[in-house]
Amino acid sequence: MAIFNAKDRIIECKLVYYGPGRGGKTTNLEYIFKAFNKNASAEMVSINTMGDRTLFFDFLPMGLGKIRGCEVKIQLYTVPGQARYRSTRKMVLKGVDGVVFVADSLDVRRKANLLSLKDLAENLKDEGKNVFQIPLVLQYNKRDLAEQGIPLLPVDIMNKDLNSKLKAPFFEASALKGNGVGATLKQALLLTLRQLQKELQWTK
Amino acid sequence: MSEKDRIKRLLKEAEIYRTQGLLSDSKAKYLETLSLVGKDGLLSKNQQLVDGIKSKIRAVEKALRELSERPDKPELTQDMQKLIKKLFTFSHTKEAAAIEGAVALAKFGQYDQALNEFHLLLEQGILPVVTAKNIVRCYVAQRKPEAAAEQFAKWLTRDIFSFDELKQLRTFIKGAMQKEGIEVKLAEVTARPRKAARAKRTEEMFLEISAISIHLQGGTLKDQTFDFEVQFQSANTVTVHLPSSRKEVADFLAPGTRLDDIQCYSPITVFRSSGTVAGTATIKHGPKQGDYTLDITIDAD
Repeated sequence: MAIFNAKDRIIECKLVYYGPGRGGKTTNLEYIFKAFNKNASAEMVSINTMGDRTLFFDFLPMGLGKIRGCEVKIQLYTVPGQARYRSTRKMVLKGVDGVVFVADSLDVRRKANLLSLKDLAENLKDEGKNVFQIPLVLQYNKRDLAEQGIPLLPVDIMNKDLNSKLKAPFFEASALKGNGVGATLKQALLLTLRQLQKELQWTK
Repeated sequence: MSEKDRIKRLLKEAEIYRTQGLLSDSKAKYLETLSLVGKDGLLSKNQQLVDGIKSKIRAVEKALRELSERPDKPELTQDMQKLIKKLFTFSHTKEAAAIEGAVALAKFGQYDQALNEFHLLLEQGILPVVTAKNIVRCYVAQRKPEAAAEQFAKWLTRDIFSFDELKQLRTFIKGAMQKEGIEVKLAEVTARPRKAARAKRTEEMFLEISAISIHLQGGTLKDQTFDFEVQFQSANTVTVHLPSSRKEVADFLAPGTRLDDIQCYSPITVFRSSGTVAGTATIKHGPKQGDYTLDITIDAD
């Protein structure tokens, strides 16, 4: 949960990138680290095995500077997407303030997206949180693969599958190319800080 | 589209999935390709093509095997373990933070280090029953029932736990093992005189609760569940906030109201309990003027 130091006027919040395995969560953070390097308050930490699968989590702390008289710091995390790492995902979700759900646009990953979203909702519930109330942004990643003739899910189908009840903001993206990554993060931060303003009244 | 083009497209798809790490999907596409090639009179005679696809399938199967053989949660470096403790400890009190840090290590599969820390906490007398249960959980996760049984036998000879606590732990260990389908023989708990009185704690130590969920079982709000974040806690009394728009809930939860079904969320565990509304107040000043605060005393076990 967000930490608000009223005396020093510092607010620190946590954003978690969630989604099915191999969907592009780590690629999002890697792009953010590269593109917004000057905002990173430390190196990005990735705990993974040989190869590029996230085993535990990725972590990237960033400073956004002063917003409405308050120093705003964010911690970005990713979770391991494979089904067997459910307990790790639960741990990483502890204290979460906002979520970016990175969905895989590949047609063959349709079911994986649905299962992962269901997993998110259940894990949030176990934390006393509600997927319909937490600041949430959807990202439909890998849209660039259409150029290579790979079958992708149309955006309206992805919205029907994942967003018909949530009605969350969504962005098409290619995390590998950096398209849509910044816009996703910006919207997620906006929603999260807005929610925290309601809860903590942190702005002057 | 000609068969040749279809096969080219399938091969491209299979290769993209492989590079994406979607190995099962890649294998499925290569198999589909092989099947298609097999049905084509001309292409099926192209041994180079057939062998090439089979070789791709073998490579993907090897990668899948290697993936399944990797340890789920390998041991991490000390620096990484320290980072885990730093990032996943939310409690404000020193003792609860120490337990929470060790729990975080266990949740991330760092059982050996977690056990070291839990044993130390037990020696220090910090939340002994909670700590002991976490020690058992580590042994269960490591599939070491004999270690858990041995540990329990040691606890029987020491003066850390009361008779009731030992019985509680015995039941817990049996349940934890049964859940995993493990049979274990545990020593019986027999009443024994204490060698020395346990040092009296000056303050009842109670788990730090971050949120509660109250399920009402009677009255006008029967079967409704209300979720609250804990604003403040003193021992086993938590203070929660209720917006002014929920006056009917504030009226229902008058001081003295018994709550038989409370789900308590703590950073280190989730548990069910009961309690009583100890007090309510209306906020008279500030941005939340008109809202309510409720004090709820959770029954201590």
